[in-house]
Amino acid sequence: MKPVERDPESLLPLTPAVFHILLALADNERHGYGIMQEISRRTDGKLRMGPGTLYGSIKRMLADGLIEKSGERPDPALDDERRHYYRLTDFGQRVVRAEAQRLAQLVNVARAKQLLPGPELAGGVS
Amino acid sequence: MIAPSSHNRSSSERVYRLFLYIYPARFRRAYGHQMAQTFRDCCRMARQQAGTKGLLDLWVHTLYDLVVTASTEQISAGLSLLKQFFGLEKEYTMSNYGLNLDVALRTDIGRKRQLNEDAMISTVPQDPQVMQKKGALFVVADGMGGHTKGDRASEMAVNTVRQVYYQDTSDDLAASLQHAIQHANQVIYQDNAANFQQAEELVKHGMGTTCVAAVLQADKVYVANAGDSLAYVIRSGQVKQIAQNHSWVAEQVRTGAMTEEEAKAQGKNNMITRCLGIHADLDVYVTSEQVQDGDVLVLCTDGLHTLISEDELRTIVEQYGPQESVQQLVERANENGGPDNITAVVVRVSLEDTV
Repeated sequence: MKPVERDPESLLPLTPAVFHILLALADNERHGYGIMQEISRRTDGKLRMGPGTLYGSIKRMLADGLIEKSGERPDPALDDERRHYYRLTDFGQRVVRAEAQRLAQLVNVARAKQLLPGPELAGGVS
Repeated sequence: MIAPSSHNRSSSERVYRLFLYIYPARFRRAYGHQMAQTFRDCCRMARQQAGTKGLLDLWVHTLYDLVVTASTEQISAGLSLLKQFFGLEKEYTMSNYGLNLDVALRTDIGRKRQLNEDAMISTVPQDPQVMQKKGALFVVADGMGGHTKGDRASEMAVNTVRQVYYQDTSDDLAASLQHAIQHANQVIYQDNAANFQQAEELVKHGMGTTCVAAVLQADKVYVANAGDSLAYVIRSGQVKQIAQNHSWVAEQVRTGAMTEEEAKAQGKNNMITRCLGIHADLDVYVTSEQVQDGDVLVLCTDGLHTLISEDELRTIVEQYGPQESVQQLVERANENGGPDNITAVVVRVSLEDTV
């Protein structure tokens, strides 16, 4: 597949929706609603993603080779309906890492300019 | 008919499914089902956490999301069309659709019959080339003639249809399917003709069978049938019958000769107007239809569809996967008396948009 050979940097910066979805999938494969829940949990409910934003992003991320479908099965925690699960591809893994690094550098700049009181608050309140 | 059972779909989800029509068709086909599923999960959570207020809040948020993302998708679909027009982008070919099928079949003798005269087959070709060209085939047949080998007729029907369909190299799948059923008619008719010299005897005592066959290929379903075994597509909460019912009652209603009530009062409820094996020529109904991601295709004999309502059928296949569905459907028909053999094939379609 073509996207695998691409330079991860070529996709940066990522839109917030894409970055959050990649982060949500970084440790686990999830279905659509699982991705939403994870994002909501990690942002203390501040970021609410609607189904349109979620699946519009998923469509583009599949096309870009960042994620892939990992199967279809029910989630016992919800009900017995089958759900599509998604996971990161290797390329997606490299892209999310590159984006995290880019943001970390920006945070360092902010810290150097004393915009952030201390390292413990880095990446904290938005 | 049986009263519809409890609805597992909230009005919020129903409304949301309607709103999905503002997205481009291609996007809706690929993700509509998943979006509605996700929205339902959100509704459940919102209601649990904050009741009606939570639900209202969710709707405000979702409507905003809907308007913004639908415009984005419409623009992107429009740009893609423009690019195609100027030759910058190729039309997506059928082969780009990853067709994933989840199939379950079940046949049951019922509670009143001595013999199961129904037959069914499912063929999903392993060879990707065959799959791409001819698709997957599902056939259900309901043999009749009791003591005169109805089970043999239905068995011959499903096997001949499979063999003839895949041997035919034509790209016209509808014609190919129709031809396969006509061929099966010939085979059974020849067998009858060898046993009964008199045409009248053949009509009276010969073996016969109904037949409904469906092919799923790329993003289409082709259905052909003769008799009262039927096919349905269940999509977004709607049940659509896609085979033609050749029962005497349905025929009267179709031609406008009688209302359903009048026709049923004639006492010819189990008469059918077309079947395989009795005449040398057979008129086979054929139709085709676009399929969408999440569609469920159901093939069944009258032992099922005359015993459960369309609402019940929908509720079951939406609630369960194919394996569990066929089991539930057969059980339900048996609970309602099981007067005839019961056969159900349930196929869940996933279309993967690999653009």
